[in-house]
Amino acid sequence: MISWFQAALLGVMSVCAASTIAALGTSIGNYTLNRPLIAGLFVGLILGDVQGCIQIAIPMQIIYIALVTPGGTVAADLRAVSYIGIPLAWAMAKTQGWDMGGAEAQAFAGAMGAAVGSVGTVQFYGTAMMNLIWQHIGWARLDKGDFSIIGKVEVFFPLISHLVISFIPVTLLVYYGADAIGEFKDALPMDSWYMKSLFTVGSLLPAVGMAILLKSVVTKPSDLIYFVGGFAMAKSMGLTLLAAAAVGGIFALVNYTIKMNKPKVVSAGGIDDDDEEDI
Amino acid sequence: MKKLSKKTLNSSFWRWYYGNLTAFSHEHMQTFGYMWSMLPIIQELYSSKEEQAEKLQTYYPFFNTEPQIGAIVVGITAGLEEARANGAEEIDDEMINGIRAGLMGPLAGIGDSLIVGTYIPVLLGLALGFAEGGSVLGPIFYIVVWNITITWFMRFIYNKGYELGGNAVEMIVGEQATAFRESVIILGQIIVGAMSGSWVSITTAWTLTAEGAKEPYFNLQKSLDGAFPGVLTMLFVLLCWWLMSKKGVSPIKVMLLMVVIAFAGVFIGFFNPGLSY
Repeated sequence: MISWFQAALLGVMSVCAASTIAALGTSIGNYTLNRPLIAGLFVGLILGDVQGCIQIAIPMQIIYIALVTPGGTVAADLRAVSYIGIPLAWAMAKTQGWDMGGAEAQAFAGAMGAAVGSVGTVQFYGTAMMNLIWQHIGWARLDKGDFSIIGKVEVFFPLISHLVISFIPVTLLVYYGADAIGEFKDALPMDSWYMKSLFTVGSLLPAVGMAILLKSVVTKPSDLIYFVGGFAMAKSMGLTLLAAAAVGGIFALVNYTIKMNKPKVVSAGGIDDDDEEDI
Repeated sequence: MKKLSKKTLNSSFWRWYYGNLTAFSHEHMQTFGYMWSMLPIIQELYSSKEEQAEKLQTYYPFFNTEPQIGAIVVGITAGLEEARANGAEEIDDEMINGIRAGLMGPLAGIGDSLIVGTYIPVLLGLALGFAEGGSVLGPIFYIVVWNITITWFMRFIYNKGYELGGNAVEMIVGEQATAFRESVIILGQIIVGAMSGSWVSITTAWTLTAEGAKEPYFNLQKSLDGAFPGVLTMLFVLLCWWLMSKKGVSPIKVMLLMVVIAFAGVFIGFFNPGLSY
């Protein structure tokens, strides 16, 4: 199903995409290649089914839409979801002859994404711990006035951590897992209580993802009214996300205008409002 | 009058852009990334090896923040370092590390809520829409828009930090910036609601059927949707939020709780995905 070469390429991708400590850095590694939807494209290119892999990636991306890593604690490192979860869920759907966009494949992908997230967590802490070794070498050499060690600690030594903790496990898991996963069908019938439960888990977990996101933007309970309003816009009024963002923009602008026009003790006159950076 | 060359500033910026977290460990976090980024600046400003080593030690203390918005701190210290090399006496190790330590927390909060908590999910949300049916447009849209905007943004605030030096602090924690931030967060709250409404779908299979009748006389899902479409989904999101933010339950434990609820719900017939091979 998946060749050694393909499995090794997936292993390399997981190294590039490791969360927070990615070999390709934060913006390109963690916040681009690490995201399941983007990984869907690359896994698809490697496995030769771009459309199918992107479809498999969609439910996984929804579960992990919000992944904030405050102070270096991660709930789940998506490298495992993206580069173990997508290939294996794809292999399962392929073996079963499921339509990649159909209910079974989508539900299985969601459950799979939830299951392998914790593998990524172990990888994250493992890499961070192994990096301690390189940093200790770094401090020792710095004391001797060797500045060039900083670049090595930054760029080259972490690759050893990645080789041990990302590349090898991902390659092996994907290669052997893809063949083994198809045999699950007979052992796990859809109308069994455990498969029903597994798929129910897949539908409940996105709620946790949204709640994590909600936590990062809500400071007081009254903020929740905006959340409920946004929910009604999408579900009851049928607005798309972009349309809901446009309505939300109105509320944001009104709030900004009110805040800036409050009478102040110290006048802030003369400051140009336009120089605020928009992100 | 010493002036940092464009080449040096570029080198410092790209080192931070790439290497802010590559050597991450829980002990030093971004400390090595910061030193690596300051090294070209210090090497250009000071010629003797002893001076370079001494100035580099300013950046030995722990550093960690949201690294993308944190580019401004690296820019600020580049500006301060240049002023110090030109003899500004008020700038010493203590002042530089005061600014670094003082900005770490607020910037982590701003970056996590605005960039990671709002901007990225919104972009991903739009990309998910474009990706429907497995279209490559979705991932490509995200790759292009995210990388161009974040690189531009980091570059912009790095340069601003360098130009303004210590005065840049006002730009981050000032009144206008606070009002702006709060307003964007309102937009974020609405969008999280819209995303939950669009993508999360939790439905119950619970019905009541009269004895001998074929059709149930009571369908809980229909009744709930008649009152507020998708209210069950919304309540689940709110429940998870409440557990995490008010009860301090960790995300992993909340996920485990959802697993338990799923099993129990299937057992009593509340949930049934109704799938078959």
